[in-house]
Amino acid sequence: MALRTILHYPDPRLRRTAQPVAAVTDAIRALIADMAETMYGAPGIGLAAVQVDEPYRVVVIDISESRDQLQVFVNPEITSREGEQQMEEGCLSVPGIYEPVTRAARIKMRALDREGKPFELETAGLLATCIQHEVDHLDGKVFVDHLSRLKQSRIRKKLEKQSRLAM
Amino acid sequence: MRAAKSSRSNPRALCVRIVDEVVARRRYLDAALDEHLPRAPAAARAFIQEMAYGTLRWFHQLAAIAALLLERPLKQKDRDIHALLLIGLYQLRSMRLPAHAAVTETVAAAEALGKPWAKNLLNACLREYLRRAARLDEVIESDPVLQYSHPAWLTEEIRGVYPEHWEQVLAAGNERPPMVLRVNLLKNSRAEYLARLKTAGLAAAPHPAAESAVTLETPVAVAELPGFAQGCVSVQDAAAQLAAGLLDAQPGERVLDACAAPGGKTAHLLERTPTLAECLALDADPARTALIEQNLARLGLQARVVVGDAAAAATWWDGRPFARILADAPCSATGVIRRHPDIKLRRRPEDLPKLIETQRRILDGLWPLLSRGGKLLYATCSILPRENEQQIEAFLARHADAREAPLAPPVGLARAAGRQILPGMEGMDGFYYAGLRKI
Repeated sequence: MALRTILHYPDPRLRRTAQPVAAVTDAIRALIADMAETMYGAPGIGLAAVQVDEPYRVVVIDISESRDQLQVFVNPEITSREGEQQMEEGCLSVPGIYEPVTRAARIKMRALDREGKPFELETAGLLATCIQHEVDHLDGKVFVDHLSRLKQSRIRKKLEKQSRLAM
Repeated sequence: MRAAKSSRSNPRALCVRIVDEVVARRRYLDAALDEHLPRAPAAARAFIQEMAYGTLRWFHQLAAIAALLLERPLKQKDRDIHALLLIGLYQLRSMRLPAHAAVTETVAAAEALGKPWAKNLLNACLREYLRRAARLDEVIESDPVLQYSHPAWLTEEIRGVYPEHWEQVLAAGNERPPMVLRVNLLKNSRAEYLARLKTAGLAAAPHPAAESAVTLETPVAVAELPGFAQGCVSVQDAAAQLAAGLLDAQPGERVLDACAAPGGKTAHLLERTPTLAECLALDADPARTALIEQNLARLGLQARVVVGDAAAAATWWDGRPFARILADAPCSATGVIRRHPDIKLRRRPEDLPKLIETQRRILDGLWPLLSRGGKLLYATCSILPRENEQQIEAFLARHADAREAPLAPPVGLARAAGRQILPGMEGMDGFYYAGLRKI
């Protein structure tokens, strides 16, 4: 297991569309383990493979307080969305920025687990928001894309300045 | 995704905002807590409050330690990181938390403030502190300003005016104050109320200085006090509970409480002497006079509440004299620093001349309103003679028809005029009282 480097917005590599995983191999399981470690270390409640520069449709999530309820989603697909809810979101690729985003309140989805076995899930609340946020990443989208142009450009400038200072 | 709660409701990041508003904008700590605490998870509120009080209480000391740990001072725009460093140091010095958890969580809060670059800096400073704590303590103990963590000007002034008591006074300013209650003796006796507290599982003892006062062993939210909403009890330090007895208003008299908000002493006057001819509660701030009304309503008491400036009676006075006047004047509040540690940061030496002038105007403005033979009780929660005995001596020199009226019981220390309660005496807040009789 290893900690991976998280790409930071507006890195163009966050804009790539991830490809489906053909088979859940040991290599994918190793990626999942790295992603979990990286997410817990950050600390975050969800991480998509795209954020660690791996263009595969793999997501890890743990929204528990105790940080011991890891959920793995390979090739996740949202099959239905209902209602609306607004939550304040942040992103490991957009450090220090928190903004309210409106998304579906309830979703149905299917995916493969870490053994490659298909499962279905119907959920709401924070988990629903988090899944939508991570699936966006797999399609090259970041949560700031849901904000106004003005907010987007402010955030971009702030983060560009931060990364210059860090270098 | 990162959970929003790691940012706006990160306890330490929230505490940074509270501390910074007090330090940089001289905001009242109470006001900053009222605004920010409701955003925190309920379980974290007591913890945040403890960190904010503690960091401000020890600010001067913690800032000196931080200066020794930082290779170079932080920039003005990184005041939040400076505040976070002090909060981290406070946890390490005074809170019962494992050191590693305090360091890790404080470092993580930099992320919540949107300044991940500061994580290394905080980590290095806090670990360096743990290595050098004993040596740093020696530095602190060599300088009373750092040891007692009061501003230098105030430390010097207190040292000058209380050569025998100054260390005791400064140490008392850093104590956690007791929660003291005033039993509404119209509704229940002190013994009855003590029994109610016992039934509710709250340990308490009668306070020796005031007949209505009860000290709780551990502070609680007022909602947990039996009969609070029904007006059986109020929260008020024992030193403030002395005012009603010292004023000693008699049935049938007309009484003025000239700087009344939030109304604690007004209410006490009425509880002690319910058959006054009239009690007029005056305050210059309309928002604060509303507090008087609320307090009186809860206690089932009635007074005439008027918005007006005590120093400008022409704008509100009907020309009928008062037999007793309580003038609890605006002051430096240096006697209640243990309750409001933000005073150490908000109060500046240049505020003093203005406060002293206001007190003088209030005393001179109220004097014509007092009937012949009537008594004015001057009170402050200050421990500085400039606002207290010197103010009264100057008043007596200006007014040929004024004499000092001895206070009964004789509370605190005798001064050239009036009596001074120093903070910590019988567990009380610092308070000054002087009686003036019109001849």
